Order: sequence, then structure tokens, then C-alpha cells
Amino acid sequence: MKTKKTGIQKHYYLMMLPGMLWLLLFSIVPMFGIIMAFQDYNPGQGILHSQWIGLENFRYLFQLDDSKQVIINTLIISIGKIVLNLIVPLAFALLLNEVRNLRYKKFVQTVVFIPHFLSWVIMASIVIGIFGYNGVVNTIAGWFGAQPQLFMADSSIFRELLVGTEVWKEFGYNAVIFLAALTSVNPNLYEAAAIDGANRWQSMWHITLPELTPTIVLLGVLSLGNVLNAGFDQVYNLYNPLVYSTADILDTWIYRLGLQNLQFSLATAAGLLKSAVSFILITVSYVLAYKFADYRIF
Amino acid sequence: MVQNKTLGSRIFDIVNTIILTILTLSCLYPLWYTFSLSISVKSAANAGLVTFYPIGFSLASYREIMSDIKFFNSFWISIQRVVLGTGLSLIAMIMMAYPLSKSKQEFKARDIFMWIVIFCMLFNGGLIPWYLTVKSYHLLDTIWALVLAGGLPVFNVILLMNFFRNLPADIEEAAVIDGAGPWRILFGIVVPCSLPVIATVTLFTGVYHWNEFFNGLILMSDASKYPLQTYIQQLVVSIPSDTTLTPDQYKRLSELSNKSLNAAKVFIAITPVLIVYPFLQKYFVTGIMLGAVKE
Amino acid sequence: MKRRILAIVLIGVLAIVAVACSSGDTTEPSSDESNNPATTDTTSELTGDAAAFQKFPEPVDVHIGMSVDPTDKTLPSGDSAENNQYTRYLKDNYNINVIVDWTAAQGNNYNQKVSLAIASGNLPDGLIANDRTYMVKAAKSGLLYDITELFDKTASSQVKEIMDSTDGRAMENASYDGKMVSLPNITVDTDGVHVMLIRKDWLDKLNLPVPKTLSDIEKTARAFVDNKMAGDNTIGIVGPDKNSYPYCTFLMSSNNAHGFDPVFQAMDAYPGYWVDDGTGKVTYGTLSPNTKKTLEILAKWYKEGLIDPEMGTRDSSAEPVNANQAGIFFGPWWSLGYGNGDSFKNDPNANWQAYPVYTDDGKWNVHMKTVGTTYTLISKDASEDVAKAIIIMNNALVRDEATFDTSVAIGWYPLRNVMAAADECEYEYKELYKVLRGETQPEDYNKPNSLYKLMYADAKIVKDVVKSTNDELNVQDFDQTNTGNFQRMYAILVGDRPYATVTPDKKVYSVTYNQTDIMERKWANLKKLEDETILKIILGEPSSTFDDFVQKWKAQGGDEITAEVQAEYDKNK
Repeated sequence: MKTKKTGIQKHYYLMMLPGMLWLLLFSIVPMFGIIMAFQDYNPGQGILHSQWIGLENFRYLFQLDDSKQVIINTLIISIGKIVLNLIVPLAFALLLNEVRNLRYKKFVQTVVFIPHFLSWVIMASIVIGIFGYNGVVNTIAGWFGAQPQLFMADSSIFRELLVGTEVWKEFGYNAVIFLAALTSVNPNLYEAAAIDGANRWQSMWHITLPELTPTIVLLGVLSLGNVLNAGFDQVYNLYNPLVYSTADILDTWIYRLGLQNLQFSLATAAGLLKSAVSFILITVSYVLAYKFADYRIF
Repeated sequence: MVQNKTLGSRIFDIVNTIILTILTLSCLYPLWYTFSLSISVKSAANAGLVTFYPIGFSLASYREIMSDIKFFNSFWISIQRVVLGTGLSLIAMIMMAYPLSKSKQEFKARDIFMWIVIFCMLFNGGLIPWYLTVKSYHLLDTIWALVLAGGLPVFNVILLMNFFRNLPADIEEAAVIDGAGPWRILFGIVVPCSLPVIATVTLFTGVYHWNEFFNGLILMSDASKYPLQTYIQQLVVSIPSDTTLTPDQYKRLSELSNKSLNAAKVFIAITPVLIVYPFLQKYFVTGIMLGAVKE
Repeated sequence: MKRRILAIVLIGVLAIVAVACSSGDTTEPSSDESNNPATTDTTSELTGDAAAFQKFPEPVDVHIGMSVDPTDKTLPSGDSAENNQYTRYLKDNYNINVIVDWTAAQGNNYNQKVSLAIASGNLPDGLIANDRTYMVKAAKSGLLYDITELFDKTASSQVKEIMDSTDGRAMENASYDGKMVSLPNITVDTDGVHVMLIRKDWLDKLNLPVPKTLSDIEKTARAFVDNKMAGDNTIGIVGPDKNSYPYCTFLMSSNNAHGFDPVFQAMDAYPGYWVDDGTGKVTYGTLSPNTKKTLEILAKWYKEGLIDPEMGTRDSSAEPVNANQAGIFFGPWWSLGYGNGDSFKNDPNANWQAYPVYTDDGKWNVHMKTVGTTYTLISKDASEDVAKAIIIMNNALVRDEATFDTSVAIGWYPLRNVMAAADECEYEYKELYKVLRGETQPEDYNKPNSLYKLMYADAKIVKDVVKSTNDELNVQDFDQTNTGNFQRMYAILVGDRPYATVTPDKKVYSVTYNQTDIMERKWANLKKLEDETILKIILGEPSSTFDDFVQKWKAQGGDEITAEVQAEYDKNK
């Protein structure tokens, strides 16, 4: 029996081999670049010979006047997305679950998934069109006598706009998990409730929602690792100078530091910091999920 | 359930249908808008007059694309990339997810590997070292750079792993008693039982390879080797943001601002996804559900 | 038959003469030995223009990175970035093999590739950097070839003459730490002079005079909007889009299309420039009271609907101009012709004209640009021959650009970095009028190695395009059949008319056009603050925002930087 077990172990290692090799070659090897965060990297001298400066880059990052604002923006946008990416898809799933015409249900479910497939490069020009001066939003608001507004230029609502468009783009996709969970709710519960005279609101509130609670909690915990990801592609393609103060996030900031201002070491340091925080958050969520929901994320 | 057709219930149905219909229409709008732009006349498209429906009717954009060899060249590169990239990573991911779905008792090094995988998901050395690495493998300008250099989509491994973990244990136990080895169990039993999640992961990986444009730009030395999204991206948004324009660039930009042509390119580029997606859609619910949430 | 032979012989003789003078008339200049006296193998002993146009005895491979136009349709099928009429010309005449390591689309994509090349310490032999930041970073990292001596020996007298015409400013730009490490581009001064561009046909229709001052402009724009000259969506004044800026700055001191530069200058305000306040004290122009007053005017215009409501967020402000929705915009000379080509295509009678904007007491103030903004970088790993070859490629371009058959876009010339005499456009404006009026003949300008390299080619086409000799040409005076020729003539003869015919009362230079040390780390943040605040004030934030901005700007490093600029200024005085 024992020999057989070690025999299987060998096969397991073999199975891991291609994937691990792939990770090694294209993820782990390039990590030597992390060294740059502790150097004043000079391309002429290369990573091996650049000057070591310890934590100077990190100290400098925190001294920069805009780093605070950038972190605040990142947190507001990402937390907004995390929360609404739970609530909106949930509400949608509940509503869709009440639809009785199966064909219509299928159609809706198919269509709302589509925006998920469009990259932000493409979506951005559409969003700018929608919120533009002659766009749909202003056109419709105009029917009710509203003055046209320049949404994309308004820094006081730009973060909301980012969260809103992201939620709109992804709610169909995010609702899938809830829809799946809903199919596993025991139909007997509804019948019992109906016999007790509960109306649809009541059964939704008292049966469906509690059944979904574990799922909601889990998804919430899982998304902790994304707290510093406010969505580079989206922001990069949508922002403009008028909204820098509220739209600039960690990723766009790092991007500009590195590729536009050529501050390679600073950009690496900022990236490393971000990874480290995400790693801690993921670990915390792992522990939380395991302890309280007895669920192993990975 | 027929009995509770009360008035409130009926109002609810109506309101509900209205809300869902509006949401559905809003999700269809991007496609419709892009399509409208693509068949509108150029001047109306550029003046921003297109909102709800095409202004004028012109197939000039599509005609121009049909005569653009580079577009089809990039299209072909993208197809190769999707097929190779999805195929290879699917095999690697499935083989990886299976041992990881085992408990620590069954596969001793499981936790170590798992944390390495998580680490790779979160940390990276940055663009420059990554580029230098790919370069040192002599992969630049090859299709393999596009297929391999993006790395393994770790998130999908986790999805697969969770699905495998939630398969009923007794099927596998029966196979073991029959004397099946781990390879036969994986490909003979686990994979056939996991079609929903595999379909889901296939679609995710495929869409990633189809939509990704940045690697193409960095790793390919000229446009004849770009995948489709990179090719489109350079046409649509290549405006210098930090330098003022020279007359040459300016002239080019004003010639470039052909919204209707760009829309046609975008529309053609999303069509394959829209065609493939409905075939895989029925697997989604089970695939994602069991991959992410244990019940 | 005899006559025919004679004609052929004559043509042949003429061709030889022409080739001997420059390097050929049009199309691909052939490999003519007489043009390249230096084909001996003792290249090192050559001096002067013999060295500048020498043909290498052995082929020299030059590896380059290149920005390309993804929509270009001028390259004949079968040709490529690496093999086209320009590379063949270099091969035939100088034995230079151009090898293109990589290409990327002009703009962001190309800049990203350049960043990557610098960051990985991996430059091809030659590369154009679109911004001085790249050049400085590469020089600082020791990636660039010190061409101080080589340039002295190999650059042509024409290139040196153009360099000298900038009073050493070009050389200063191209140098780092006292060494010449790049070939600078030198662009015409008028690229930095911004004027008002206006629909004269609209003015005529409304019976209005040409506006001169800001209050005139205000009235005119209101008249355009009120009379719905382009229907309901009429835009009085176009503003910057999301990629352009309200005004030029010391770092980008030219070619700011759709900004408000002339408006600021009419208020004697120079935002974005480091200016000497007259006592030797350096201040940052954006902080001045005049800038604040100008912003109040712009904010008022915006509020009253005279300025494009979508200002600042548009993808491209060229769109409303080209769609003929707008009456007024601001920009440099080429904004007409090159800049708004589609406008004429959509309405051949759109009579765009260019005028200066004056202060209330009738003065025309202009801010002046730096010499140039792009640089040819040569890798330190290049061999001496390769470095020499790159300098020769530049010599050849400057001398022969006008003789090329540009039906293949000139952008395909490898490492094309423009070098033009500072007053080229104004010179051409005056001389082209002479040709039009029959005072001179095109052949009078057939002088090889001239400082004004495009003059001859332009003199030959001007009569085909322009059908009038009036001082003020209308769009109807132009033949638009050949788009390229039409655009160039319109840009020079209409777009540059203000600067060619009116002498500015005041020319303002920035104290510096380069980043100082502290700026390298702090400027990005200050700039972000400035860009956002200024646009917001125009869009209606209260003007107290301006005072807050001044405080913040000073506190976040502005004061420190000002002191640094002052110190450098004092040192150079």
C-alpha cells in the first residue's frame, strides 16, 4: 500500500510539471526584476550593477504629494466596485429568478453577458459616446427638459461613473454564480411558504435570500484580494486631465511613472508594494473563509 | 403556483419585465451602437451625430476592410493564438489542477505548490524584466511569444481545482478499486465529468487570448506580426498623450478619425466571440458555480 | 524622327545636369558617382562636405527602430520599411544598409517601444526620441554615443548652417553634460506662434469685420452661435481635447492645436512659461494675475456657450472643425491646410483665414518656442562607421528632401528628423508671392545645398495651385485637386500669413525649455495639478480655486523648482 502511494505521488509531480515549468519560465524567472525596487536602476549598467539604495524608493513614494490621493482613489473605486458587484448582480439574479417565461429568461441571461466580452479599449469609446454631449444619456435627459451635462469632465462624479460602468459591464457575468446558487434552492421551501400564504416578496426575502447568504459572504471575502485593483484598462481608457484628481489610481500612476516618466525603479517599488498588500489580503481572506465558512478558497 | 396570481404579483411581473428589458437593451446597445456607426456615412459618424440609429447608409467601411490584407493577416494570427494558447494552457491547467485538488494527505507537496501558484498570481517582476526574459528565450516575433509569454492563467487553475474537488469521491474510488492509475482517472473519469467547467475555462482563456493587445505590441517587432486586437488598437487609440503633435502626426490623425471604419473593424473583431459564446453558454452556470463555490 | 532623337538626347543631358547639381530631380536618385566624390577607401581623411556625403567602400549596416503610419497607403506593394525608394537611395549613394529592427505606430505605441528600449538598455543603432526626457534618461544611463567630434567632422555645411541659425540653442539641446549625444531636430519658429483661425465666409455672411481683440472675438463667436451658422450644434470657439492643452508650456512649446494661446497672449499672460519679470527675477507664468484674468474671460465665454461645451473631453477637437461645425479655433500656421483638410473636402468653400489676436492697445504678443523637441539617438554600441552613417543619413535628408518623389510618404525615410531654417515658412511666403507675380522664376531657386531646402519644389507647384495674386487669398483662389500640394500652399500662404506679414510687438521666450533636476521627480505631479485646475476654472469652478492652486503649487515643490530655475538662469547670464 505504501509503495503504491509514493508511486502515485510521482505521477502527481509529473502532472504538475508542464504547468510549473510554464510558471517558472514566464512568471518566476522575470521576478528577478523585483530587485529594481531596491536600486536606482540604470539601464546602462543593468540590474546586476545598478546602485543599491535600500528602501529609498519606498520612502520617496510616501513622500510624493499625490501618492495619498492615488491610494484614496484606488480604495474608493475598488471598494465601490466590490460592494456593487455583489449587490447589483444579486438583485438582478433575484429578479430574473422570478421570470416565468423560460425563453425570455434565457434570452436576457444570454444578452447581459455580452458586455463582459468587450475589452475596455472598445468599451471606452462607447462609454464616452453614451455620456457625451449628444450621447444617449443627455438625449434622454433632454426629453425631460434637463440641460445637457458634460459627465466625463466632472471630477466630482467620475469615480461613480467608473464604478457604475464597470458594474453595468459585468453584472451579467457576476450574476451567474447567484443564478447557479438559486437553482439549488429546494423548491419544496417555496411551496411550503405559498401554502402558509406568503407572497412573492416575502418568500424572496425569507427563503431565497437566506439561502444565498453563504454565497454572498464567500464572494465578498474572496474579493478582498482585489482591494488595490481599481481596474487599469478601464481608467486608462476613460480618464482625461479634468478628472485626474479623482480618477488617478495606483495602476495608472505606476504606469505613468514607469513608461512615461521613465522612473523604472519607482514604478517597480510601487508595483511590489501593491503585490505585497494584495498577498496579505488574500491570505487574510483565506484564513477568514476557512475559519468562518469552513471553505478553502484554494 | 398558479393560485397566487394576485394583483400585486401581476404588477410585480410587469415592473420586473420592464426593468429586465431595460437592462437587456442597455447591454445590447454597445453592439448596436458600434454597428450603427460602422454603416453610417463617415461625416455623420465623425460629427458625433450617431446615437440611436445609423445616419445615412454606407458599406464603404466594410468594403475598405475587405481590401485590407493586414487586417486578415492579423485575424489569422489571432486565430492561431487562440487555438494554440487555449489548447496548451487547457492541458497544462487540467494536469495541474488535478493533483492540487487532492488533500495534503494524498499529495504531500500540494500546499507548497498551491502557495507558489498563488504567489505567481499576485507578484510579477514588472514589464521590463519580463520583456528581457522573453527576449532571452528568443521568442520575440514568434507566435509562441503570444501563446506562452502571458503566463498561465492561474485563476482558471483555481476554478478547475475547485470543480475537481467537488466531484463525488465515490466515482474515483471505484476506479481505483478497478486498478486505474492517476492518468486514467484524470482523463478517463475526471475530465469527462467536468465538461461544464472545462467549457467555461476554455471560453475564458480563449476570450483572453482574443482580446489581449498589449503583449502583441511589446513582443512583436512590426504590425505584420500583430494579433487582431493590437492591430485595431493602434488604429483606434494611438494618439500621443504627452507630446504635442507635429504637422505630420496631425495630418495623420485627422485622416485617421474615421469613426465609421474603426467601428466596422471593432464589429468584425467581436463577431467570432459572439458566435462561439452561445454554444458554450449552457455550461456556464454549472461550470462557474461548482468551480467557485462549494455546496 | 530626328527631332525625337534630339529631344531624347536633350532630356538626357538635362537629366545629367540636374543629377550633378543636386542628387536627381524626382523619384529615386540613382547611384551617381559624380555626386559622391568620395568613393575611395581612405574615408578617414575626408573633410568638409566630401566627408558629409561620402560613400562607404563596404556596406554599412544601420539597425534602427522606426515609427510608422499604420494607415499609410503610399508605399508601393512589395516595398517595406526596410526596402523602399529611400533606403535604396541610401544604399545606392552611400552604401548604407538600413535594417529595421522594429516598427510601431506613431504616437503612444512608438513612445512605449522607445521607453522599453531604453529601460532594457537595448537601443538599436539609431532611434528617434520624441521627447527630451527620453534623450536625457538614455544619456544619463550612458547609452548614447558621444558624437561631439564625429559631428564636427561629418555633418554637412548645410546642417551646420542650420544649427548655427539657432545661436547655439540647438547644440545645447542636443547635448548632455557638455557632450553632444544626439542630433536635434530644428523646426520652424512659426510652429510656436499661435494665431486665430476663423471662418471668413461666416463673417461675410453676417457682415462682420475680422475680430482683432478679445472683446471682438467674444461678439463674433456670439454672432456665430446665435445665428446658428452650422445649425443647432454650432460651436463658436473650439477648445482643447483630452490630448491637447489649453496653452503651450516650456516643455511643449510648439504646435498646440486648439489651445487658447492667443487669448492669453492678448492679455500679456504667458502661462506654462518661465518668464523674467523684467528685474531678473524668474516667475512661473501660470501664477500671474494676468493668467487669472484671462481664465476669468475664458470661463465667462464657456458659461455663455461660446466655447465648445465638450472641451477637454473630446477624443479629438479636429472632429468639429473638420465637420464644419465651428467658427473659430486657435493653432499654429499648419492648422489650416494640413490641420483641417477634411473641412475643405466637406465644404470646398469653407473660407478659413488666419489672423493675429491683439491686446486692447493693439499690440501683438507671441510666445516663442524652443528649437526642436525630437532627437536622433545613436547607441553607444554602434561602431564609428555606423554613427557616421547616421549623421550622413541626416545630411542627405536635409540636402535632398525636396528632390524626393514624395508620392511615397517622406515618413518612410529612415531616422527622419526634420531640420529646417527657423524662418523657412516666412521666407517661402515672400518668395512664393514673387513667383506668383512673375517677379522670379522657379528655376531661380534651383540651388543645391540651400538653407531653404523645400523652396525650389514649392516654387514649381505654386502657380498650379494658386490662381490669384491678391494679398489675401481666399479658398476659392486655390485648386484643390492635388491634396498634398493644396494643403502645403494653404498652410504657408494663408496659415502663416500673420507671422510672415505682421511683426510681433513682443516675443517672449521661456527662461528654460528643459527640466531641471528637481523637476524630474516633482514636475509630473505639479503638471497634473495645473492641467486639471486650469481646465476646471474654464469650465466654471470659482476663481478662488485659482488662489488655492497657487498656494498648493508653491507648497508642493513649485517654490523649490522656481529657486532652481532662478539659480540656473543667474548662472547663464
